[in-house]
Amino acid sequence: MELDFSFLLSYSGVLLQGLSTTLQFVGLAALLGLIWGFVLSLGRTSENHVIYWASTLYVEFFRGTPVLVQLFWVFFCLPLFLGIDLSGFASAVIALSLYSGAIISESFRAALKSIESSQFDACTALGLPRGVQTIFVVLPQAVLRAIPNLLSNVVSLFKESALVSAVGMADLMYVGQNIANNVARPIEILTVVALIYFAIGFPLTRAVSVVEARLLKVVKA
Amino acid sequence: MNYEFNWFYVQKSLPDLFDGLLVTLQLTLWANAIGLVFGFLVALGMMSKIKLITWPLTIYIEFFRCTPALIQLVWFFFCVPIIFNVWWSGYFMGILALGLNLAAFNAEAYRAAIQAIPHSHSDASVALGLNAFQRIIHVILPQALILALPVLITNGIGIFQQSALVALISVEDLMYQGRYISTQTFRPIETLTTVALIYFAVSFPVSQAVSYIERRTKRLLAN
Repeated sequence: MELDFSFLLSYSGVLLQGLSTTLQFVGLAALLGLIWGFVLSLGRTSENHVIYWASTLYVEFFRGTPVLVQLFWVFFCLPLFLGIDLSGFASAVIALSLYSGAIISESFRAALKSIESSQFDACTALGLPRGVQTIFVVLPQAVLRAIPNLLSNVVSLFKESALVSAVGMADLMYVGQNIANNVARPIEILTVVALIYFAIGFPLTRAVSVVEARLLKVVKA
Repeated sequence: MNYEFNWFYVQKSLPDLFDGLLVTLQLTLWANAIGLVFGFLVALGMMSKIKLITWPLTIYIEFFRCTPALIQLVWFFFCVPIIFNVWWSGYFMGILALGLNLAAFNAEAYRAAIQAIPHSHSDASVALGLNAFQRIIHVILPQALILALPVLITNGIGIFQQSALVALISVEDLMYQGRYISTQTFRPIETLTTVALIYFAVSFPVSQAVSYIERRTKRLLAN
């Protein structure tokens, strides 16, 4: 068996394009997931039983089923329900945002729980309306405490994003598999693709632990 | 929305889905067997002071933790046969890739648990004249298992869900059967929803059990 990595140079442009699709996709899904996750976490801490149970059921369902099933469901079934055509990119963004929203809401919920009740008493004493309380008192503190978990959620979203190749989105994984099939050199190309994922995933994972250590100091101080 | 539901085909193909579920469960169990045993060995290796042992293990753990499970699976499926000149089935490759992935995550869980064992225990083992092997089996392993149990089970259900990936390398698991039936019958909504519900029906009770066990161990350790 002879390895030959030189042919990869001619494919570097396509690989980079795939990588940029992956990163754009992760960025978009992470942003939507963060917003949706915060809304869900408010639902899960709500005193209204209907809202609480609906959001709890949602979170448990998305955490309890494979992302691949969710992705296929959105890709194949949602267009039938809505009666519109969804591109691979759109359905991938929808599926992964819905999924990451459920995961992210758990990080927010843990952070919300850690906010002392005295903060809420202070809000009442100051006569702040509900909306102001949520946006200016609860949100900043919850976000600060949730940052390490949120970052690691985004890192796992980055890893899960390889799935979208299954619905034909031309991300890094898809491009890599395509080239591997065309040139019949899976070892070189798949190893390089894995290394590219690693080159991004590893520093991100490390960054999470650094941020976590820093924040611990801030919170303790 | 004017979609007419038709559950006839799903009902008819329930036995196929059940066969798929069995494959999924087998994959999960084997991957967990590898993950629990190999993960503990890796965690022990990471405790070593010899760099020649810890470095390769660190690379192994970080590599499996920082790359998508899908690329690991595809890599095993396409590259292992060429490199080692063996022809193993997709099923076996799936077990291997998922098992090694799980072992990397479990190793971290074990390591945190082993580090939480008070140092006095290893002093006590020396005082009792236990050799290294006895100390690992009778002192470290039971405590590490109890402390790490919630994380180990959570990782285990994670692998149950990740195992759906093997459908992409044509292993006939639940996901594969679901996709096959949905394209054969043009009934994606009914089929894929049923598949999702089956996955949920298995993983939800387990995840509830984890939070129960977690509360129990916390109380156990508090006493």
